[in-house]
Amino acid sequence: MNYPRDTLECGHSLAELSAYLDTGQIADPAHLDSCPECQAGLASLRKLSALGSELLSSDVADAGSGSDDWMQSILDNLRLELRPGRSIPLQSVHPDDTLWETEGSISALIRSVVDAHPGTAAGKCRLHGDVTTPGTLITVEVEIAVVYGHSMEERADQLREELARTLATHTELAIEAINITVTDVLEEQP
Amino acid sequence: MTEPLEAAEPSASTPPTGVAEELLDVVQSVPGVSAVYPAQPLWQSIAGAALSAVTGEPLPLIGLTDTAGTLAVKARIGVSTPRPAPAVAREVADAIRRHLLPRAAAVEVSVVKVGS
Amino acid sequence: MTGSPAAQHQLDLVPDALLAGRAADGDTAAFEALARRHGPLMRATARRLTGSLADADDVVQETLVQAWKQLDSLRDPAAVKGWLLRIVGSRSIDYLRKRRNHADLDDAENHVDQHTRPRPEDPEGNALSSSRVEALKAALAALPEEQRRCWVLKEFNDQSYEEIALTLNISPDSVRGRLARARITLARRMEEWR
Repeated sequence: MNYPRDTLECGHSLAELSAYLDTGQIADPAHLDSCPECQAGLASLRKLSALGSELLSSDVADAGSGSDDWMQSILDNLRLELRPGRSIPLQSVHPDDTLWETEGSISALIRSVVDAHPGTAAGKCRLHGDVTTPGTLITVEVEIAVVYGHSMEERADQLREELARTLATHTELAIEAINITVTDVLEEQP
Repeated sequence: MTEPLEAAEPSASTPPTGVAEELLDVVQSVPGVSAVYPAQPLWQSIAGAALSAVTGEPLPLIGLTDTAGTLAVKARIGVSTPRPAPAVAREVADAIRRHLLPRAAAVEVSVVKVGS
Repeated sequence: MTGSPAAQHQLDLVPDALLAGRAADGDTAAFEALARRHGPLMRATARRLTGSLADADDVVQETLVQAWKQLDSLRDPAAVKGWLLRIVGSRSIDYLRKRRNHADLDDAENHVDQHTRPRPEDPEGNALSSSRVEALKAALAALPEEQRRCWVLKEFNDQSYEEIALTLNISPDSVRGRLARARITLARRMEEWR
């Protein structure tokens, strides 16, 4: 598929230059620096790429903000189902009653405790151990992000206590340990 | 999003007419119950949801099945309270059981949301 | 659904990886924060790929449905943006195929750029009066479909040749060739225009 003027007089093609822009690879890189034709070709392709970025910005601006109505109506249409996860049995008074808490409800509870703490946000959160068998020792793993400037250790200690208290109130799990890992440090919003 | 549905009209397809609706009142009046979710998650009742869309009848919030004289009752609840969620679940089961007396019942309560 | 308004607001500060991890755990609020964050880019990409405003919004919606179902299969949560855009890419291509099969009449109301694209009967003939970006839009619209797809997936979504090849179901070599031809044509048009 050779188009007229695709091949430069130096023997290189614009197609090679195009691939070079994406991959940084070309047969003889030394040639590029010394060849005015290749330089001009590259400059033209780079200009196009910069214009492409302008088009992208303009298209993204035209698409509106993610907090606009169009996105809200898409989100409303989704009807995201809560993920129940495992069923955690609760003690019942009557033998014919079966009571459960869903794992999903407990991770959401953990996240809400972390999020309500000023300067922290929850990430992934896992209950390790067989939560479906009462009495099994369970380890809670929580990843958190902390806003820059807050003492992380102090924060983690406070959170651990608060989580222990909340889980003791709202679950019947035998919590062996609560491990908090700080995975991100966030910049305070200007 | 799974939002609690509006209080359901009694569904004509539910065998004991009116009981599901009564039980919904019973469950909702237990302190600490913040929401009642459809007894079957939507994805488990695609057919039901489609039917409900056609007939305009809401999915029942309290699930009822009559097997050999024992009424199996299913409820999925949200709990928002300083009081322990397991205690609220037990009170819900107990309230359902007492409401149905003298009928025998097997009650299943799932807490699917804790906290605000 | 999670936490206070303050916590909701806090989610906007949170990096993608953390949100994706939470969303994979079933946190709908985190998923929605991701959708809001990347929604405009997803929509812009789908509009350029499908050329239709209505199809683009359908594509975004279907992408989010698929993403919610498959999030726990995403190995690197930090790569969630590229992953969402790849779904947008393949969904958009699906839409184009569907539309071609149904030989739908083009709904002018719905057409991306219908107000800005120079019309043949336009006495000036081209976009002299509009900006360079408008001229690029017109040049892009005139490209063969396959070349335009390659260009959009590369320039808008920064996909690799291999990723574009997977999306379009062609070989990476074809991607390289089509992309080069697209760029050569576009660069030439832009130079003529200037």
